[in-house]
Amino acid sequence: MNGWILLPVFLPVIAGIFLLLMSQCERRRLHQAAGAVLVISAVLAVAAAWTGDKSVTLFYLMKDIPVYFHIDGISRLYVTFTSIVWVCVGIYAFVYMEHEGGEKRFFGLYLIVYGVIVALDFAGNLVTMYIFYELMTLTSAPLVLHNGSREAVMAALKYLFYSLCGAYMGLFGIYFLYQNCDTLAFTPGGTLNPVLAQDHRTILLIAVFAMLAGFGAKAGMLPLHSWLPAAHPVAPSPASAVFSGIVVKAGVLAAIRTVYYVVGPDFIRGTWVQTAWMVLALVTVFMGSMLAYREPVFKKRLAYSTVSQISYILFGLSLLTPMGITGALLHTVFHAFIKSALFLTAGVFIFECGKTRVSELTGIGKRMPKTVWCYTFASLALIGIPPACGFVSKWYLAEGALNADVGVFGWLGPVVLLLSALLTAGYLLPVTMKGFFPGKRDGEKTSAGNSEMKSSAVDIRDAQKKEPSMMMLIPLGILASLTIILGVLPNPLIDYISQLISGLM
Amino acid sequence: MSANMMVVVVLLPIIFGVLVPLIPFKTRRHMTWYVEGIVLLTSLLVWALLISRPDGSFTLFRFTGNLSVSFRLDGLGTVFAGILSSLWPLATLYSFEYMKHEGHEKYFFMFYVITYGVTLGIALAEDILTMYFFYEMLSLVTLPLIMHTLTREAILASRTYLYYSLGGAAFAFIGMIFILTYGTTSVFVPGGVIDAAALGDRQGLMLLIYVLCFCGFSVKAAMFPFSSWLPKAGVAPTPVTALLHAVAVVKAGAFTVIRVTYYSFGTELLRGTWAQMVVLGLTIFTIVYGCSRALKETHLKRRLAWSTVSNLSYILFGAALMTPLGLVGALSHMVFHAVMKICSFFCAGAVIYKTGRNYIHELRGFGWKMPKVFTIFTISGMALMGVPGLCGFISKWNLAKAAVSSENPLGYLGVAALLVSALLTAIYMMTISIRAFFPGKDFDYDTISDVEDPNWMMILPLVIFVIAMFVFGLHPEPMIAALESIAAAMN
Repeated sequence: MNGWILLPVFLPVIAGIFLLLMSQCERRRLHQAAGAVLVISAVLAVAAAWTGDKSVTLFYLMKDIPVYFHIDGISRLYVTFTSIVWVCVGIYAFVYMEHEGGEKRFFGLYLIVYGVIVALDFAGNLVTMYIFYELMTLTSAPLVLHNGSREAVMAALKYLFYSLCGAYMGLFGIYFLYQNCDTLAFTPGGTLNPVLAQDHRTILLIAVFAMLAGFGAKAGMLPLHSWLPAAHPVAPSPASAVFSGIVVKAGVLAAIRTVYYVVGPDFIRGTWVQTAWMVLALVTVFMGSMLAYREPVFKKRLAYSTVSQISYILFGLSLLTPMGITGALLHTVFHAFIKSALFLTAGVFIFECGKTRVSELTGIGKRMPKTVWCYTFASLALIGIPPACGFVSKWYLAEGALNADVGVFGWLGPVVLLLSALLTAGYLLPVTMKGFFPGKRDGEKTSAGNSEMKSSAVDIRDAQKKEPSMMMLIPLGILASLTIILGVLPNPLIDYISQLISGLM
Repeated sequence: MSANMMVVVVLLPIIFGVLVPLIPFKTRRHMTWYVEGIVLLTSLLVWALLISRPDGSFTLFRFTGNLSVSFRLDGLGTVFAGILSSLWPLATLYSFEYMKHEGHEKYFFMFYVITYGVTLGIALAEDILTMYFFYEMLSLVTLPLIMHTLTREAILASRTYLYYSLGGAAFAFIGMIFILTYGTTSVFVPGGVIDAAALGDRQGLMLLIYVLCFCGFSVKAAMFPFSSWLPKAGVAPTPVTALLHAVAVVKAGAFTVIRVTYYSFGTELLRGTWAQMVVLGLTIFTIVYGCSRALKETHLKRRLAWSTVSNLSYILFGAALMTPLGLVGALSHMVFHAVMKICSFFCAGAVIYKTGRNYIHELRGFGWKMPKVFTIFTISGMALMGVPGLCGFISKWNLAKAAVSSENPLGYLGVAALLVSALLTAIYMMTISIRAFFPGKDFDYDTISDVEDPNWMMILPLVIFVIAMFVFGLHPEPMIAALESIAAAMN
């Protein structure tokens, strides 16, 4: 019986629903219950993932379409990093959510979304994946509108409609793949029926492109990226962290499953679909970085950064070579840790000082040096400075592009990646530099003007050194140190991924 | 159960319905018992018929020659009669509570019960003449229901409805004449009755007649450009809009279209011709058109009515694919849409009944005051969007499957239209739910302190519909298998 592998799906979902329906209870009890369920589910999920390839059919939705779960290499990778991030952010949220209120609803939904994402990672065929993809959208939307302000509601609606638009484009493709594939179950190398595929080549290419663009909406790829910068600033910081770290990765997972496990990379190699995908990804990489560079609101800046970084991953996937996928998967894992760490620091700044704009963070390093160090490590990793982990994945991505047979993109890709890395440094590092070296006070340089900004900046500089509580600092520290550890010792992960890919290509 | 039971189920509600205003009931309660009794009895008899499936036909009376009014229960009729007989008792229960504030209840229930018999007549008709006869009658008996409030708006709406329906019936009549002339028989036969030898070189003319006939019957199904009567008819009391304008009348339109397409003209004659392209194009356009209009509409019931326009064209689109799979898709959406839409209309009705509010912007914060109604409304909205796990996903899957396998370029376009429509549906349904549950931080709940959930007579039908949506969404196989066996008779 493999049914127990669904425990990490059902346990958090049922517990979450229970929390939502329960009447108000004491904060401590709520935290204990939610924390216990979260940790147990995470342990179960990881245990289920790492005890071999297992499959289980839940029931038949239609006579040839089972709701089917199968754990393979990709599932293992995804569930592992998802669980680490989810637990860390969850612990952090116990403290953070105090000032947001509505904790019962937040943790209820937080648990439900975790269960749904585990199910999404375990999904064994395209329809099962689609089901949980859409459920994830619906259950995670209330996390965005948590504070209930008009702005938050509009952002949540934007997120909902962009994601649904993407999901329906995906569904469009699924309809066509259903007719032209031998099976929708994920099979390395694809299941496209060669005879049927030959007959319907044009429409199938359109369908695959619709899927890639549609799933790209979740991953923040142009032209459906703009929900990210709208949703992140208004969502509570722990929610932003998991959105940027994990939820957007679902779009990546869907793209991997579609291209490498159903359609097969050979079908789109050298077609206009591959070119279009590459162009969209590269444009997004550049645009995202540019917009982040110009953005004064800290969390919005990080959101644009996510837009850019996820398209690194998509670019790697679009190369359709082992090297490219290795880079993409490495970056998927690394970015999950990096970006959730960055959002958690943004949360600390809001929680402790109420600062949301980058310009207000001058001198923050004096006030909370440990937090800013965590931020700095994660930033270095995202920029790709060795020995932090971003360097490894970007190396593989650039190397993959140079070696792939993709014409002009072979050199254009690495150039764009490099430019974007420079911009990344430009938009992340000023926080550290200004944080530790605030320079002379504005007041001493210019006597008049900027009085409001001045006063807010003075607040931080004159404040006593005060780190956030351990419950916030430890999860942040774990995530930040992971970004360095994985950079120094990337080999186990690289070996695992290359083994995974050898079965794929 | 013998075949003559069919005439009983058709005539019983008609005759006893006429008696409603004549019987001097002592109290209102007596009348409601009487009405619910008739409706339930009829439904029980229909279910008995559906289970025993008598094979024979029953002729009520004969005009000249082979023209007769006769009944026969076949697969397609089973589906429609099944929908009607399941929903009518629940809708009646709901309307006892709702109609308290509308007045003129006796006349309302008279026509409400008669309509039941007439729509059953359409479902059970054995030949095109019988179907046409009941189809015309349906226009007439539902007219007073739209006019019920006797406001100027209601009278104008009923006039529009009458003109549209009669105009449509005229086109349908032309189609009927041609079927009777060139068909081998007037009864419905799977695969069609048109005699190719008799037709000779008049095939082009026949296709034109088909398009006219399709448009004529789909006036009731509110296909563009004949859709504007339906949102106007939303002035009727909610039980009418919910049951008749989301299920019985409009689905009678879709049902008759399926009848003439698959059982009279025959798909062999039509598939791949310009006639098919025209009707496919119209239905695809209506799918998107209805949704766009729904999006613009701020009146709650009219928004749902525009949504019905779009969803009925899903059914017509499936039918116009002219493949057995298309028929399965059309019929599954016919069943599932009935449940979803009647449910969302009943929620809207509950709001109107309890608070008298009609516009969507007035519903801010209602989610916490009417939690049951708005939870159910949200679920029905999700079902309409096609969230997996609810029934809308299954019927969309079947329609798209049929469209993709038809290998018709317009079919591919139709798949895209279905998904555009799904997105628009998400927008126009979810904005209502979000507005109701998340009115904004500064919202003052005291302004709606008198709002509360309605009593069990209104909630019970809603709960049953929600359960049905989940059951059909998670375990649709028995239903789909039954529909496939109906469609299999086409080959």
